Amino acid sequence: MDTTSTESVTAKEAGLKRCASCGRLQKIDDTQRCTKCGAAVQSRRSKSIQRAWAYLVVGMIAYIPANITPIMSTTSFTGNSEDTIMTGIFSLMSSGSYFVAGIVFVASICIPIAKFIIIILLVLTVQLNWNLSEHTQHRLHGLTEFIGRWSMIDVFVVAVLAALIQLGGILTITPGVGINAFAVSVVFTMLAASSLDPRLLWDVQAAATTLDNERVSS
Amino acid sequence: MAVASPIIDVSFDTLTACSGCDLLHHHRELELGEYARCERCGDVIQTCKPNTIERSLAATLTALFLLLISLITPFLALSRAGITSSMSVFDAVEALWDTQMRWLGLLTLALIIVLPLARLLLLGWVLWRLHFGRKARRSMRIAFRWALKLEPWAMADIFVMGVVVSLVKISTLANLSVGIAFWALLALVGASILINASLCKDTVWTRLQQNQ
Repeated sequence: MDTTSTESVTAKEAGLKRCASCGRLQKIDDTQRCTKCGAAVQSRRSKSIQRAWAYLVVGMIAYIPANITPIMSTTSFTGNSEDTIMTGIFSLMSSGSYFVAGIVFVASICIPIAKFIIIILLVLTVQLNWNLSEHTQHRLHGLTEFIGRWSMIDVFVVAVLAALIQLGGILTITPGVGINAFAVSVVFTMLAASSLDPRLLWDVQAAATTLDNERVSS
Repeated sequence: MAVASPIIDVSFDTLTACSGCDLLHHHRELELGEYARCERCGDVIQTCKPNTIERSLAATLTALFLLLISLITPFLALSRAGITSSMSVFDAVEALWDTQMRWLGLLTLALIIVLPLARLLLLGWVLWRLHFGRKARRSMRIAFRWALKLEPWAMADIFVMGVVVSLVKISTLANLSVGIAFWALLALVGASILINASLCKDTVWTRLQQNQ
């Protein structure tokens, strides 16, 4: 069910810009807000690359203390123990809950690291005009927006455990500093993904194709 | 009477651009239930969902009802050595507040209560007024815009997953049972999927423009 495109021209090339919230088009040099929904309209998200870098750097820095400091501590009559993200996963595995250990591992380790790598890759593609396959790019971008939220699982686990396990001297769980850093990391990586404008990736592709065509024709 | 719009608007309305790659397309008149994809990147650029206002309003009201249930009932109860504690969502937030992790408590409060509730209230209000043919106020456009923006930050579905992981983690330490709120939250995830499946943004924006 494809619509017929108008000889492959982007809105920007046609001197138009699309409202991000309602999709209405207006002239690219119009400064007024969208007449259909009232949102401010930008051809490309402003300072998209700078913002993505800034948020990403905060996210990556916060990810370090998130992994080396404890995210929660357990106090019981048998003594104290502190859990980091990794030791939490190991204790789940040692109790035989491999599936849940897998979920936590994917949400807290795989997804954040994959997101860092993908966002760096996409931002560098735009900045250095790398020639990545356009559909790979597009899929990677879609993926970062979709999976980022799931990293919050560990934050909620600590919140639930700390709230529930308050049995006085018998057993008490308190949140550790690491979970703060982890929450910061997830939130800022989400902001990084959402400030990266996918249309910039296609602009780079289009520029590369035009160059190739010129080379062929000359 | 509506004021005639300038010609320049009309000519742009025959075109539509892809949100993912900015490619221009001719606007198509779609049949009910049809959708159109971008020729270049494959993103959905036009939708035309049947009875969208009624269906998404029904889903929104259901979700709102489920969210309220999940707030006032306990979602976990645990007993160990004769001591029982049950917990509502508010207790989870309060416990974090008391452990010098105040901003983590606030973040949890925002992500599982305030933002989902705000999103559903805004969405419900806009759809309700459209359904009953009320005048589309300017504030409704702002409300709908924010409801769309809040979507990735409403994390009830992820919270449910977090609860499941917590259950497994402490099942060896104490006897656990899930409460009504847990099932309500699980149903809320389903209702949220229904909202996304039935809500046609194109139709809502057009109705918001026409009913002014």
